[in-house]
Amino acid sequence: MKPLSEQNYYETLEVSQTASLQEIERAYKIALTTYAPDSLAGYSVFAEGDGELLRERVEIAYRVLSEPQARERYDAELAQPQTEIADTAGSDPGAFASSAGQSAPPALEPADDLVELDDGGGAWDGARLRRARLQQGVELEQIADVTKVNPTYLQFIEEERFEGLPAAVYVRGFVVGYAGCLGIDPQSVAGSYMELFEQPQDSGKRRLFSRR
Amino acid sequence: MNHGTREAAPGRGAPRLIPFGGGKGGVGKTFVAANLAATLARAGHRVVAVDGDLEGANLHTALGVARPRLSLADFASGREEDVRKLLEDTPYPNLRLIAATHPNLESPQPNHETRIRFVRALRSLDADFVFVDLGAGSDAAVMDYFMVCDDGVVVIAPEPTSIENAYAFMRAAFYRRLRLVMLAPEVRRIVGTAMDERNERGIRTPMDLLREVQSLDGGDGQRFASVMRAFRPRLVVNDVRTAEDIKLGFAVRSVCRKYFAIDAEYLGYVNHEASVRDSVRARKPLVETDSRSDASVYLARIARKLIAPKRAPAPAPAAEVRA
Repeated sequence: MKPLSEQNYYETLEVSQTASLQEIERAYKIALTTYAPDSLAGYSVFAEGDGELLRERVEIAYRVLSEPQARERYDAELAQPQTEIADTAGSDPGAFASSAGQSAPPALEPADDLVELDDGGGAWDGARLRRARLQQGVELEQIADVTKVNPTYLQFIEEERFEGLPAAVYVRGFVVGYAGCLGIDPQSVAGSYMELFEQPQDSGKRRLFSRR
Repeated sequence: MNHGTREAAPGRGAPRLIPFGGGKGGVGKTFVAANLAATLARAGHRVVAVDGDLEGANLHTALGVARPRLSLADFASGREEDVRKLLEDTPYPNLRLIAATHPNLESPQPNHETRIRFVRALRSLDADFVFVDLGAGSDAAVMDYFMVCDDGVVVIAPEPTSIENAYAFMRAAFYRRLRLVMLAPEVRRIVGTAMDERNERGIRTPMDLLREVQSLDGGDGQRFASVMRAFRPRLVVNDVRTAEDIKLGFAVRSVCRKYFAIDAEYLGYVNHEASVRDSVRARKPLVETDSRSDASVYLARIARKLIAPKRAPAPAPAAEVRA
């Protein structure tokens, strides 16, 4: 691994050079958390001023990589011979090994932990929606902001407190909006969820899922 | 030996040893270890859960074994040489326990030699997985167990105290294994210096250390690189309440990579929920009392990743062999 000051923009954001825009967005969000002024992850590690410097680097990296033309120019720059070794080796460990005078090891897979954290599968019930939302690091308030749906309704959808929700036609709309915010197929989610919503309630079975 | 539900069971009967550490007490190491053990046992794997904490034993309680007959303490004191005789059945099929109850309070910890013998004996158990639940702190006794493999589990909670101790724990693990693997006296001296955080050479991170080692001898630089790559602690964030807490795992992974050059993996998270506390009070694993709860779903997901084939390259020589 290279010192922070020598990392290229991809290494700074910890994405592969073939990362999609969506992956870059996600990596950027994580980097914002990591290097936030009151970062929990940086506690006891970051020295005075580190965070600021890193935030600056992350911002620059994101600005370039999230803009297709700028990224193209940057990629061309990276492809210049003097940086070639680091790039072909992929992410950090490869670059590190080359500096250690060792033959290139297998490149580290991209940060795929995000992808691997699946949501448990099954029908789209409230619990699965909540898991999918949390996995993506989205708060209910953010969905409320985008969809203009009352956050209490969104919460009831997750908790399957159907008695507190309006008529089915509205609920369907809410669920479609919710799914859209998470980038999951709204129609299949709504279909699955509404089946549950329209089932006759049997209060005994439902929601041992109390939280907090 | 392969049932349909089993995946990645180690071949030839040698169990895969997985330690659970994290530095700080109270973050849920025992809860996570007990529940992952129970999850795998439910899926048909033969699991042995070992309590490595002679000074704060409670894995037996988490698994519903009120009074273990024998324990690690009997091995430590020499009263029982055969580790297989320490095995206790739990109420759950496929899941057995080695407790750490009734230690000799005057000198609870077995010495280094005894710990090595214990780990060797664990490797010979007839099981698929052996989990070792470690105590708090990062002293030699804890670290010996954490180094039974390259990819032990580090449990953290979303709070500064836990984060601070987790970094200290991973640093300690990293330097300790390095010192055991790097044999040249001069290198060992530098690593020893680096382990002291206030060292006068200004070595703050493994990256700084590499520069020092490289300036000595190319061969050691390479060995350092391979040890560095093989060490892949795996993070579990316990007791998460918000989406921000979940992101913490990724953030800690980033810091590990960028500051310590440690390639940690984010295994997953377990949410905060009332049923967790209920299960602890009932002295049963949550996955047994409420297998449909969110936390159980998250634990099942972690269990799947935990036993998936390793992504890392072949490990460096096991530290214990050298010790």
